[in-house]
Amino acid sequence: MLGVRPLLWPLTLLNLCLTVLGCTSEHFQENLSINTLQDGKVATKFTFTTLLRGATPRDPRTLDSEDESQHYTVFPLALGQILREYGVTELHLTLNAGNWNYDRWGYPEEKGVGTGAELWAWMGEGPTKTVDHRWRGLRNALAGLFCASLGSLDELRTTSPPQSFTPEGTLPDWGIPHKVRHAPLPSENVCTENLTPFLKLLPCKSLSGIASLLNPHRLFDADWHGMGVHVLWRKDEGIEMKLTFQSVFDPLRPASASTQAWSIHSLFDRTISQGCPVAQKSDVVVALPTSAVYAIKPEPPLIEGGAGIYDVNTVEKPLDIKMMFADQFSFRKSKPCPELTYQRQLYPALEYHSNSTPFSVKRTLRGSSQAWGQLSVVITNQRDTTVHALYLETMPWLIQFYIHTLEARVDGVIKDGIITNITYIPSVPHSRPTTFQAMLSIPPRTTVDITMDVTKAFLRYTEHPPDAQRGWDLPPAIFTPMELGNNGSFLPQDGRIYTPTLLVDLATPDFSMPYNVIIFTCTLTAAIFGNVFNLLTRKFLLVYIDPDKTQ
Amino acid sequence: MDSSGNLIPRWRRVLLRLRESVLTSGDVNEKRIRRRKRLVDIITRRLTLVKTALFISGYLWFLLIPSPHLGRGTYIDENALQPGQVNTDWNWGDVHVADNYLARLEQIRDGNFTSEQRAQWLSEEFGKLGIASSTQRYSFSTSTAVCTEDSVSSTFSRVDPTFQHLNGSNAYAVLASPRHSGTEAMVISASWVSRIGEEDGTLNMRGVSTILALAGFLKRYSYWGKDIIFVVSDGYLEGMQAWLGAYHGVSQSGLSREPLKLTSGVIWTALNIDYPGHSFSHLGVFFEGLNGRMPNQDLINSFDRIARYTAGVPVTLYEHLDPREEPAANKSPSWLPQALYNISEVKSYLYQAKNVVRHMKYQANGRGSGVHGLFHQFRIDAITLFALPATGPHGFHAIGRTIESTLRTMNNLLERLHASFFFYIMTGPQRFLKIGFYLPSAILISMGMMFHGLSAWVDAGWVQENIDYEASEPKKPTTYSQKQTWKRRRRPVISVLCIMIATHLLGIILFSLVSSTLFMENYKVLSPIVFTAFASVPLLALQISPISNPDIAPIFLVLKVLNLCFASTVISIITLLNFSLAASLTVLVGMPLVFSSPSVSLHWRLMKFAGCVNLGLGWLLFCQGEMVQAVWNWEVLTVWFAPFICIVYLPLLLQASVTCLLPP
Repeated sequence: MLGVRPLLWPLTLLNLCLTVLGCTSEHFQENLSINTLQDGKVATKFTFTTLLRGATPRDPRTLDSEDESQHYTVFPLALGQILREYGVTELHLTLNAGNWNYDRWGYPEEKGVGTGAELWAWMGEGPTKTVDHRWRGLRNALAGLFCASLGSLDELRTTSPPQSFTPEGTLPDWGIPHKVRHAPLPSENVCTENLTPFLKLLPCKSLSGIASLLNPHRLFDADWHGMGVHVLWRKDEGIEMKLTFQSVFDPLRPASASTQAWSIHSLFDRTISQGCPVAQKSDVVVALPTSAVYAIKPEPPLIEGGAGIYDVNTVEKPLDIKMMFADQFSFRKSKPCPELTYQRQLYPALEYHSNSTPFSVKRTLRGSSQAWGQLSVVITNQRDTTVHALYLETMPWLIQFYIHTLEARVDGVIKDGIITNITYIPSVPHSRPTTFQAMLSIPPRTTVDITMDVTKAFLRYTEHPPDAQRGWDLPPAIFTPMELGNNGSFLPQDGRIYTPTLLVDLATPDFSMPYNVIIFTCTLTAAIFGNVFNLLTRKFLLVYIDPDKTQ
Repeated sequence: MDSSGNLIPRWRRVLLRLRESVLTSGDVNEKRIRRRKRLVDIITRRLTLVKTALFISGYLWFLLIPSPHLGRGTYIDENALQPGQVNTDWNWGDVHVADNYLARLEQIRDGNFTSEQRAQWLSEEFGKLGIASSTQRYSFSTSTAVCTEDSVSSTFSRVDPTFQHLNGSNAYAVLASPRHSGTEAMVISASWVSRIGEEDGTLNMRGVSTILALAGFLKRYSYWGKDIIFVVSDGYLEGMQAWLGAYHGVSQSGLSREPLKLTSGVIWTALNIDYPGHSFSHLGVFFEGLNGRMPNQDLINSFDRIARYTAGVPVTLYEHLDPREEPAANKSPSWLPQALYNISEVKSYLYQAKNVVRHMKYQANGRGSGVHGLFHQFRIDAITLFALPATGPHGFHAIGRTIESTLRTMNNLLERLHASFFFYIMTGPQRFLKIGFYLPSAILISMGMMFHGLSAWVDAGWVQENIDYEASEPKKPTTYSQKQTWKRRRRPVISVLCIMIATHLLGIILFSLVSSTLFMENYKVLSPIVFTAFASVPLLALQISPISNPDIAPIFLVLKVLNLCFASTVISIITLLNFSLAASLTVLVGMPLVFSSPSVSLHWRLMKFAGCVNLGLGWLLFCQGEMVQAVWNWEVLTVWFAPFICIVYLPLLLQASVTCLLPP
């Protein structure tokens, strides 16, 4: 360390110069927010935002000609090249593990929390290179960049649902139509090999600043964790790239823990020892609990909107924020009843939380048969007003819907008027997935049970993956809360709800027993084909057998 | 030629001779047909011998199944399981937690709580641990009240005064696996009533406290790749049936239940814990499922390894102690001299025979051997760990470690348990018979029956006539005698099929009658009446006058043919689905069907008839308890045994009895 110190000075100077030079066009800021959740968990979110001021996405009509040269200081060139090569206007990639519990945790700070990988992008239709062509290139390039099997987000999974995935930035007015492509990959997991390329996109890597807390050993042990890459264009500002890492920790997991207390060190096993010099803003935002007695150390220098804000660049380092609670954490909020009296005790910590999403969703695939089943979606409106939501299923062709069996029941009685505006693009076996979209109107304080019969596909033997046969993961359904506008049209609200993924068992031969399979197949072939072939090719004629010769 | 013959090497000469025998001069087709005829001839001439050999070898094979020389030691087939490879963390602190739960459960038991209050309490205990939990109420309406009245009403299960409804509440909790999507799940369950409680109402208190203590314990670890579902089901079997049905969205007539508020992913494996006593000496494993289904043997083997090496608890099959290891069980049966018993072969044979017979009993009647059996209907591999009540030395510490390690093993699974490890007979906890070592026994007998039927079919088609040689048709081949000739005759298949269909219809009528509420309420009075009514129906056959026309085969012969062929087909099919049932069928039906034939004397005819009918309908008089149980199993658990007996087994014997009564 001592040997490095003389070098630090000129390096910092160089950094500063670069920062000053770059600040006119490039702007980097980082943020960490920490929230305590009602069920004892702690949610954290890292956000690293880079703004390319004044830049515009590449017009797809110029894809055939030579691109302008790219010079970035803090913006990652690797990603910039991909974006320009395929003329991507807006891009969202998320890699998540676990189920986001909307009822207890509310909406996540970053919307894309569906289990597994999800990629969606808006692209302008080009004259020579089509959207689908560039989509294929984009997912392969990103697969290489993030070490994830995004290459398998192929035609079997790609859909274009524009209502559920509206652009979060602005679409340039080039006079050409923009199209969305969306593909989920629920079986993909996020792990260290995805985090390393993610860190490489940051100007300070994980060496300094808030990013130094990104410790894979702790992040990937969190109950829920996920990373995201979001690129969008804002008309008056420029291109914004946002890298996020969200995680939900459980401070109550160890047997010794009795309170929800946490500290930066206990969560990440690291502290912030130095700031990132190129970050123009570097904040740690801690939401202060409203209903519990707590102590926080060090005291936040600034409190704004119920949150303590620490500026990493100015605060005393190493920074290790500690949150302590006076009371033991209890899932039971009512007074403990005397033993064996049977008043119902309540566990608000485990139930629906009033501040969170307007409705709760549960989706299951029923039936243990390998040939058919029933898709069931149970939605409970938790509000006193009718809630509208756009229901989207992008189902691979493995599961085929029987739309005529679609029924919505309230208390077991079929009710009309709940499902409206159905858009349905049926699947094509062995290629296109189903896109099913419907508007739901759920009456206040009601539970609606939507069911639909489905068939499970019978696969060709080459379509079975060569790995362990655990079943096929089905992507989450997506619900977008909608608002009824003045003119009777629906406007999307901010927020998106992903249901947990499903696993489906299809009829599968036991591939782990190749010898048995070969024997069975050969026997069948010999017995059936052999006989039929024999009969077909045989010439029938009368043979006279002399009975005397027999004896 | 001779000189050159010496030059040809010896192997070449052998080859030439072989070729000569196959390809001689003359028509190849003619030779082939001749060869085939000769083969058929050999078999037909020795058919009686072949049939007898098949029957004798089949029945002998049954006796060989428990032999200590047949079969092999168990092994782990699925490499992913890695049983017993983890350090267990369950310690005395957790045992203390379990003891505390037990003390509170005892208060609950003594407080005479309704099952709903109890389920509520359990659900709240899960809630205190921070695990999402809920309860589920259910109600079965059955025609058989008697069974539930006898066994469960003494416990806390509420039974309506009409004895027609079986109500209860299940409590369950879902521990969501951290870091995973929860698309897969494993279940740990305990029924409120223990398996020994079916007779005396013993409760599975320690099993339930183990589940509660485990819930708090398992929550501390982040390595679970599958959701863990804890289920405390009410009653013995019915609660779990209601819960599983609701989980998989299967509707069942006569059952009303609440839908589940919490769900999880696809359940792959399940462990059911039954710990009724104070302490235990062995862990017994029960594995037979509903309708003869079996769990993957890897699960049993993993549990066996873990219990022995991780927790140091000896494992037994069922509650059968091995006389070779346990002095307490080392007693010779009263019918066997001690000297003979002391031969180790005999001792092993008797012990393994005991296991096999127990297995056959559980599998044949389709009820399975416990709560785990209900899981099998949804392709979930499940077993019951039964803590054999004893004065020691094991307790919560050993069972907790066993379950923890078994769950880790189940958690290791990347895919469902598969391989061809579903067909086996366990002769001991570490010994089993592969399918190839037991299946042939039943198949040989069913082959014998088929051969017997086919030979009778040929007999029915031909009649031997003494006619002049000139008058006979030239095409007919004359065989042994020039004076006697074989003449084709018509086989009255349609009328025989009518008789068969009638017997099956009779079976359906009997089944709907037996499973009706009216019958079940007064079965003690009605059984003899029904028996007489159904037993007298075949007597109508006495009214059929013999056919004098020699061109038509006698009805009894054709009936016997179709009866035998049908029975043989049924047995062959069932061997794969439920070997024990097929084996029982071969024993019960095999010989009576083969020997059913009309006799000249009416007296003898009626004797044979009475034998067949008693075999088919005797359960109405002699096994009334089993009958009520079987109907209950059908109504509550949808076990196919009762309908099978009425609609398949009984008609087979009715057909045989008609064969005996028909005129020769």
